[in-house]
Amino acid sequence: MIRKSNTRMALGLSLVAGTLAFATVAPAQDYPNRPIELIVTFGPGGGADLMGRQMARFLEAPLGVPVPVSNVAGASGNAGLTALRTNAADGYTMGTLISLTVASWAAGLGDNEPEDFRVIAVAQSSPSFLFVSSNSPYKTAEELFAYAREHPSEITVATSGYGTQDDVTLKILSDAGVALANVPLQAPAERYASAIGGHTSAIYEEPGDVAQFVEAGQLIPVVVFDTERHPEFPDVPTSAELGIDISGLDNFRSIAVSADVPDEIVAKLQSAILDVAASDEWHAFCKKTYTCIEPVTGEAAQAMVRDFKDVIAAKLGS
Amino acid sequence: MSTIHLLAGGFQAAFQFWPFLTIVTGLLVGVVAGAIPGISFVNAMAMALPFTYVMEPTQSMLFLGGIYVGGVFGGSISAIMINVPGTPASLPATWEGYPMTRQGNVKRALAIAVTASATGGLVSALVLAFLSAPFATFALRFSQPEFFAATLLGLVSVIAIAKDQPLVTMVSLLLGIAVGTVGVDPLYGQARFTFGVPEMESGVRFVVVMIGLFAIGEVVDLLATNRDLRPKKIDGKGLGVSFRDILNVKGAILRGTGLGCMIGVIPGAGATPGAVIAYGVEKQVSKRGKEFGTGVDEGLAAPEAAKNATTGAAMVPLLTLGIPGSAATAIMLAAMMLHGVNPGPLLFIMDPSMVYTIFAAMIIANLLMIVAGIGVAQVFSTLMRTPPAILAAFIVVLSVVGAYGVRNNVFDVYVCLAFGVLGWGMKRIGFPTAPMVLGVILGPLAERYFLTSLANAHQDWTVFFVRPISATILFLALVFVCWSLWPALKPIARRLLGRKERFNV
Repeated sequence: MIRKSNTRMALGLSLVAGTLAFATVAPAQDYPNRPIELIVTFGPGGGADLMGRQMARFLEAPLGVPVPVSNVAGASGNAGLTALRTNAADGYTMGTLISLTVASWAAGLGDNEPEDFRVIAVAQSSPSFLFVSSNSPYKTAEELFAYAREHPSEITVATSGYGTQDDVTLKILSDAGVALANVPLQAPAERYASAIGGHTSAIYEEPGDVAQFVEAGQLIPVVVFDTERHPEFPDVPTSAELGIDISGLDNFRSIAVSADVPDEIVAKLQSAILDVAASDEWHAFCKKTYTCIEPVTGEAAQAMVRDFKDVIAAKLGS
Repeated sequence: MSTIHLLAGGFQAAFQFWPFLTIVTGLLVGVVAGAIPGISFVNAMAMALPFTYVMEPTQSMLFLGGIYVGGVFGGSISAIMINVPGTPASLPATWEGYPMTRQGNVKRALAIAVTASATGGLVSALVLAFLSAPFATFALRFSQPEFFAATLLGLVSVIAIAKDQPLVTMVSLLLGIAVGTVGVDPLYGQARFTFGVPEMESGVRFVVVMIGLFAIGEVVDLLATNRDLRPKKIDGKGLGVSFRDILNVKGAILRGTGLGCMIGVIPGAGATPGAVIAYGVEKQVSKRGKEFGTGVDEGLAAPEAAKNATTGAAMVPLLTLGIPGSAATAIMLAAMMLHGVNPGPLLFIMDPSMVYTIFAAMIIANLLMIVAGIGVAQVFSTLMRTPPAILAAFIVVLSVVGAYGVRNNVFDVYVCLAFGVLGWGMKRIGFPTAPMVLGVILGPLAERYFLTSLANAHQDWTVFFVRPISATILFLALVFVCWSLWPALKPIARRLLGRKERFNV
């Protein structure tokens, strides 16, 4: 009787042990063998959501498993990243990590750090512009800035909030004598409506998010915050040409996993994402949203996130 | 003429086999999802989004549009039948529709609700088709101060609609506003009332509070009191309503529809403020205003018409300006962008057939809703014969799933359960829960609009009074407060005046 139950117990234990061994060994060898979740850290409809959904859609072919998307919005993307960080580090959860969230870390929000994540690839990036409404009295950045130098803080700019790269850009402008008033409008829809409706003098935005308004001639780009002119907008002067040094504040969007995910899995995900990024469909998507870049991977991607946080923190602290 | 011509083309396209089937499927998904407490139509639309990848752009819009139209109505089915609003916009339906069910007039309540909803939706779809250009211009004239004024009007109308003492209502409302401040503040990114818990930084979602207070609270109450959901008598065969009854509430339906169209067009507002304001206005305007809360036809019809009237109106800024005014239209925007279609003025020039097919689909969906709504309600009516314990188990499971599904966050489930217990306690002592939910919904909006208005006006607070639209809405809000508080203010005013007279003598 005792012996019988012992045998059974041994059998049971070996089964459990076998399962455990299988569970721990399996991911590295035949990863991926089940669906990989992609957490979009913002609600449906925004730039991060579009990037995440397109990426998930195209990743299914190279990875050979479904890539379902779930939106975990809240706290500037930190709610989703906390979920990403605390899920099992087995490579079956990916997430979007974008510059806005990194800026929120610099502003002291959330308890996530650059070291908590492994950035697999920065897939999209775009410099930001100032746009004015088509019936604005200022048609160029020179006119806008000249008025602002004479009348500090009278020109209002719709931005995505305080403590963001938008805010930092306006602070740098202010230090250069061009004081513009920051009107923080978190909801993208309100931001666009305020600029088009003429309720704010200008809007700080990346061109992809307002492409339809630019194409319809409702918004006019007046300056790009970069050192080189944007290839799609060759007539728009850079901030550097206007004597203001702003760079390293580009809006980037990346795919990240928990820092504890094994290297072999990261390598597999990276090659899949690079495959997608090299595809024609992805190029067409990026071109439409003016966000095409050569994907940044590895230590360079990691450094991009760290540096961005430091730049914002330094500027917000001063 | 060209609009009619284009719309005819739209109807032709929408009445093809597959597009029509898509509308019907979307509508049914919407009505069912809306009727199940916890799975709001916004969640249903988000879940449906991956299915639209394989569709044509127009077809994906027909599908999502169907869910939207059906879902906004569906919430009222559970509100009327089991006193649990399926979506926040169906709150007023619990105040007027559920009493009718208790009296055995469930069919009548549903018939009035679906007729009013369909009428409101239909009119707003026609507004979308024929008047979208002027309405879009109207929407653009609204800025932050106007949003603030409209939200404030929504908040004060809560006092006007209350059955309880105004003081008790205000305490509940302010508690809700306090709950709404939990999390990271909308402007400066400061954590408030989070007690160092990282999960609290994401704030407390109103849907979670609503599911907790209503669905869970209702279930606990149901089981604790051993109450039977089955009404004393169920009205006999037929619809339980005559054509004359519908004609009698036409004034309420028209007022609700008008308000819904105006409020729906404003980006950021939506079905919930629309329904609540319509109920508040109707209570003041209607001859039977004093009886509201006991199952009055007008009190059910007005908010039902208003909330579905916001559907077509909310599509105006989306399609004409490319600006989504609500969570539902944001998902539609995502679907269009994923197909490489950019909504906005260019869409009308580049692809008018798509735009007018969407218009036609909205009209068809609202007409079909009468059939779909009554059909789904029939299925749901078997719920009324289910033993309360089994029904309660279903509601709890769906509530937990719904609370989790809001943003795939387990913490929200705990918040929901905590509010469930609170809701039951409030119910026991007769403390109103509805103002609290509206406080959680409208409080954070009011705060954000107030602060951004000031930021845009160089911190000059007179901005609310010097802008004509904002000043008008604020004046209306003041009138509303005085009007609804008059019974309470009258004795005080009389006493003050009386004293003065004595002094004079």
